[in-house]
Parts: sequence; C-alpha cells; structure tokens
Amino acid sequence: MRVNPNPYSDLLAAIDQTQQRIDTDEQQISTGLSVNVPSDNPAADAELLQNANQSSQTDQFLRSIGSIQGELQDADSALNSVVTALQQAISLGTEGANGTVNSADRAAVATEVQGIQSQLLSLANLTYQGSYVFAGTATQTAAYILNPSSPSGVTYAGNNGVNKVTVGSNSSLQVNLPGSQLFSASGSDMFQAIQDLINSLESGTTTTIGAAVNEVSAAYNYINTQRVFYGNGITQLNAQQTELNSETTQLAQQQNTIGGADLSAVITNLTSSQVSLQATLQAIGQTGQIDLFDYLK
Amino acid sequence: MSSLNASLATALSGLTAAEGAIAATTNNVANANTPGYSREEPVLVSSDPVVLTPLTYGTGVTLQSIQSVRDPILLSQIQQETQSSGQFNSLVSALQQLQTNFTGTSSGIGAAISNFFDSVNQLSTNPTDLSLRQGVITAANNLATSFNTTANALTQQQGNLDLSVVQSVGQINQLTRQIAQLNGQISNLQNVGENAGTLVDQRQQVIDQLSSLVDVSVIPSDNTLTLTTANGVPLVTGQQSFQLTTQINSAGLHEVYSQGNNITSFITSGQLGGTLQARDQQIPAVENQLDTLAAGLANSVNAVQVAGFDLNGDAGTDLFTPPPAGGTGAAASLSVAITNPSLIAASSDGTSGSNGNAEALYALSTQGIISGQNPSDYYSGIVFNVGNATSSASAEQTASSQVLQQLNDQNSTVSGVSLNEEAANLVQYQQAFDASAQVITTINDMLYAVVNMSTLTG
Repeated sequence: MRVNPNPYSDLLAAIDQTQQRIDTDEQQISTGLSVNVPSDNPAADAELLQNANQSSQTDQFLRSIGSIQGELQDADSALNSVVTALQQAISLGTEGANGTVNSADRAAVATEVQGIQSQLLSLANLTYQGSYVFAGTATQTAAYILNPSSPSGVTYAGNNGVNKVTVGSNSSLQVNLPGSQLFSASGSDMFQAIQDLINSLESGTTTTIGAAVNEVSAAYNYINTQRVFYGNGITQLNAQQTELNSETTQLAQQQNTIGGADLSAVITNLTSSQVSLQATLQAIGQTGQIDLFDYLK
Repeated sequence: MSSLNASLATALSGLTAAEGAIAATTNNVANANTPGYSREEPVLVSSDPVVLTPLTYGTGVTLQSIQSVRDPILLSQIQQETQSSGQFNSLVSALQQLQTNFTGTSSGIGAAISNFFDSVNQLSTNPTDLSLRQGVITAANNLATSFNTTANALTQQQGNLDLSVVQSVGQINQLTRQIAQLNGQISNLQNVGENAGTLVDQRQQVIDQLSSLVDVSVIPSDNTLTLTTANGVPLVTGQQSFQLTTQINSAGLHEVYSQGNNITSFITSGQLGGTLQARDQQIPAVENQLDTLAAGLANSVNAVQVAGFDLNGDAGTDLFTPPPAGGTGAAASLSVAITNPSLIAASSDGTSGSNGNAEALYALSTQGIISGQNPSDYYSGIVFNVGNATSSASAEQTASSQVLQQLNDQNSTVSGVSLNEEAANLVQYQQAFDASAQVITTINDMLYAVVNMSTLTG
C-alpha cells in the first residue's frame, strides 16, 4: 500500500493546532479568565454580561443607600429633639397649670415655651444637602414659615408628596414623611398645641393651660409613633446593605465560576501542549532525513 | 527464424524504454515539492510480436506514454471542500473581528446601559442635586457614544468586506482567464496525443485556488472543461472565460454581476461566499438588533421624560433625539437632545424635590421594553448571538480544514512523489538499462564472432 510521502503538511497543521491551544491557554493564564471573547463560550459570556449588570446595580444600590442613610439619620435625630422639646413643653405647661404659680411666673414660662416653639420650627425646617426634609417633595422652600395671623403661628409651605428610592432589585423604600403628616396632622397638630399652650400661659386659666398641655401630650404621643418610620427605614437600609454586600460577594464568586480560568487545569494543558509541540517539531526534524537515495552512493 | 539484428533492435527498445522511464523518474524527483504536481508513471507495454511460423518472437518494449497518476473523484472532493473551507475562513475572520466590538463587560454598550440606569438611581436619592443630574446627562452621552462607536465600527467593517468582495471578483477573473488559457494549451497537446500532465496539474491548482474564492462546478468535456458557479453561471467554457463585474447597490455595497445578471445571492461558498455572508447577513443582523435596542431605549426614556417635570416644574422634553422612524440607523445616530441638567424630568408632581419620574425612568431598566426583554438582557442576547455565530463558524472551519487536510493527504497518497519509490524505480530502470546495454554488447560480440567466422573459413 502506498503511503502519503509528504507528512509535512500534517505536521505543520498539528503545530498550528497546538500553537493555537497554547495561545488560548496563555491568554487564559494572563487574564485569569476562561471567556476572553464571546465565542469562547457564548452562553457564559452572556451570563457574565448579566452578572456585570447585576454587580453594577448592586454597587449602585449600596451607593444610593449611603446617600439616603444620612438623610434618614438626620431626620430621626431631629425628631428625637422634637420629642425632647415637647416633653420639656409638657413639664413647663404642667408647672404653669399649677394654681400656686402667679401670672408673672406664667409669663416667664410662656417665654420659655416660645423658645421651644422656635426650636421646633427650626427642627421642622431641617435641611439635608440643601433640601427641606419635612416639606414633602417641595424641598426647595422651608417647610414651615412663621405666620402670626395663623392660629398655629406657622404655615405649612410644603406638600403631601413622598419620595421612594429603589434600593434593591425588588425593594424600594419611602424616604420621607411630609410635615403635613408629621407635625400638622389634624387632631395632633404640634404647632397648634404649642401656640395654644403659649396663649393659655399668657392669658388663660389653669383649666385652659391643662387642656393645652393635653394637646401637647397628644402631639408628643403622635410624633413618637410617627418617628418609628425613620427608625424602621434606617433598620431596613442596614439590613438591605448587608444583603447587598453578600450579593456582591456572591456575584463575584459567580463571575469567577462562570468566567474564571481554572488555572491548574490550564497550566496542565499548557504543559502537555508544549510537550506535544516539542514532539511534533522533533518529528519534523527527523522525518525525511533519510531516504533510499542516501544508500545509493 | 529470428536474427541477431532483430535481437539488437529488441535490446535497443529496452534501452530506450529504460531511458524514458528514467526521464519520468527524474521529473518526479525534480517536482517532489511542486505544489499540485501529480507523480508520473511510465506506461511500458511489450511490442507487438512477430510471428514466424511456427514460432512467435517478442519484439521488445514500447514506452507507450508517461501518465500522471491522479484520482479525479478525490480531486473533485478536494475542490468542494476547498470551497467550504474558503467560506468559513473568511466568515470566521469577519466574525472574530465583529465580536471584538462586544468583548468584555467593563466597557461597551452593556456597561453604558448599566451606568445610565445607575446614574438615574443615584439621582432619585437627591433629585435636586445638579451634579447628579449632570451625571445622568453624562451617562446618557456615554450610552449614545457607545452605540455610535459600535455601529460605526460595524459599518466600517462592512465597508472593508465590501472592498474584499471587489478584490475577490478581480482574483476570480484573473484565475478564470488562466484556466481558459490552460484549457487551450491542454487541448492543443491532447489533440496531437501528447501527455498534458503538468498543464493539467497546473490547471487543477488554479481551479483549487478559484474554489477557495467561489463555489465552482467543474464539467469535464473532451480535452477541455467548463466551469460554472454552483447555480450554473458560466465562468469558463473551453478557451473562453466570462468575467464577473461589480455594481454598487443603493446601500453603497458592491453586488456581483455576470453578463448583466445579479448573481450575488447565489454565491454561497468560497471566500467570496463567506465574505458576502458576513457583509450581507451577519453584520446587518447585528446592526438591526443594535438599532432595535437603541431606538427602543431612546423612545421609552423619552416617553417617561415627557410624562414628568424638570427642575423648574416645566413638562419634560426628550432626553434623546428621537430615533428615525422604524429604527433603522438608530444606533449610529443616537444622541442626547439636552445639555442643561435641570431639564432632566425627575419630578412626577411638578415640585423640584419629587423623584417619582426618576424612579419611573429607573424602572425601565427591568421592564421588557425591547421586544419583551429589558435592555441589559436584550444586549446580552446580541452578544450571545455574535459569540454563538463566531463559535459555530469556527467549529465548522476547523472541521472543514481537517477534512481538507485528510483529502489532501489521501491525494498525496495517490499522487505525491515518494523519493524512496523514485529511488527504487531509478535502480530498477538503471538495471534494465545496464542489462539491455549488456545484451547489446553480447550481441555485438556474437556478430563479431559471425563476421570473423567467414574470415577463419575463408
């Protein structure tokens, strides 16, 4: 049987193939990735893109949470101060309602409560990065303005709008409570209660003072329950942060599983490819060195 | 009865035949490395005998012909496989270039889409912040640029492929001219009964080159052959070649014509077939998907924008310049319509602090706004298609080149020059030559003896 007298093209093709495998392995080693171009593994590459998109989203959610956290914390501590101030107003009112206190002392108490009133006004006009936190979505103007002609002494200039921010793939969080809901809710209007207390201290009776103290107490109780909103928000954000951080880790692991090079396997392959390349080269070196013509001299 | 002179003639025929056989062997050795060369074999037949009743004498040997050894079926298989190999070579090379536009996750359209929606999510944490608004505009610009860059790269690649179509047509014309010329030379030789072996080998080489460019069918006829494309458009008939021409179509791309007919869509194989496939099918398909994505994204974003209110409380306007109707060219022309960051319509109620519309914009990132898929998933799908097309074409290329390699090996087994074989033949023919020469010497001695015999007796 006749055999192919020219094995060189086969050997060269074998070298090409081996060289190609070596190139691929070397690329995997240098990049640490098994998928370097889409055709390396189209399905894995598409998964990697989705993974990258998710990672980018997760990182963004973490950044957004960071941005919101400050605002929620400021709002929470402002409400804390509001509650403390209202407690103070209640004890001052209770002191003023005592029948043994004379009108001069009551006037002095009234002045103190006025101090609390302006403190409350400034707390209700809390700003965070230039935005009024308790003004609903009308954040560019003060939530409350002093208005002596208003029965409560102030006017709410905000609106009832609320903002929600997406902080996870299926999670969005309401980030504000408008002043209309917090401080000016009908039946527990904080500014109305304080104004009533001041008025009754200045010109009322122990009965009206007592009624005003009750009003302030109602506002105090109401705000105390509303305050939970911010506390819960902060808790939710912290929990979400933890979850997103572990998601980031998972995504990174997943990315490595899908697209990371199995370095020990690649290096083993590379070594065996190099051995096979050497063998092929040697074969070429030896093939055809001798033929019958050499013996016809 | 026979005579010594007749024996001398017989011995001489042996000498001549051995010379001819050695010439064939020498030619084989000389062409051992000539591409496409088929080894030649001397065809020796014994000469017609002379009958001198009651005896029949042989009259020696005749070198009837020197024949090239080749297997026509194998050659036609090689030619077929050369066509598909050529097709996959050019297709794979085009696709590999195409997929560089979709490589990596940290840049490109995919990352730009993520970054755009990320910037919108960040804006919703503080909708009045001008730097965050600027962030959205910057991200939108980057997104538009990514689409533009990729679409332009695709168009440019299409242009390069178009150039290669024109070049291939030029090469095809040159090769068909050569074949027509060789047809003439071969039939001239064969008409006078000569061996046209080396010219036939040359022609086979040129046909193989042509096969790597375009799908050809070879129809052999008396002493010549006809070449057509796979669908029957003539390329060469005998000594006449038919030139292909190109004409620019409405899209600015060259179409291939033969004698006034557009044959572009019939060319499916060979390098030209692969190039056309990449230029007319693969790249337009990707362009089309990019356009769908760009147009869908721009239209959806614009629709949300105009439903909201900007920082000044005015109704929102388009963020992206509206894409062309139908979407064709949307990726290449995608651009951002606004430069003033306060024009981002983040508000849903007209107050500047509202982020409701920014949230609605962000929600687009997970909505099936592009053929039922969200933008990122749709983009992943495009990249998958490109990668998949490249990887399956590569697999076919590998398979085809392996088949071709095997066929060439087989052909080499039949037609290749083996130096060992030639050396053995050389020894064999040399011995025959020596023996015939020795016979002549012997007969010479005998004749001498006969001539001197008369002297002795006389």
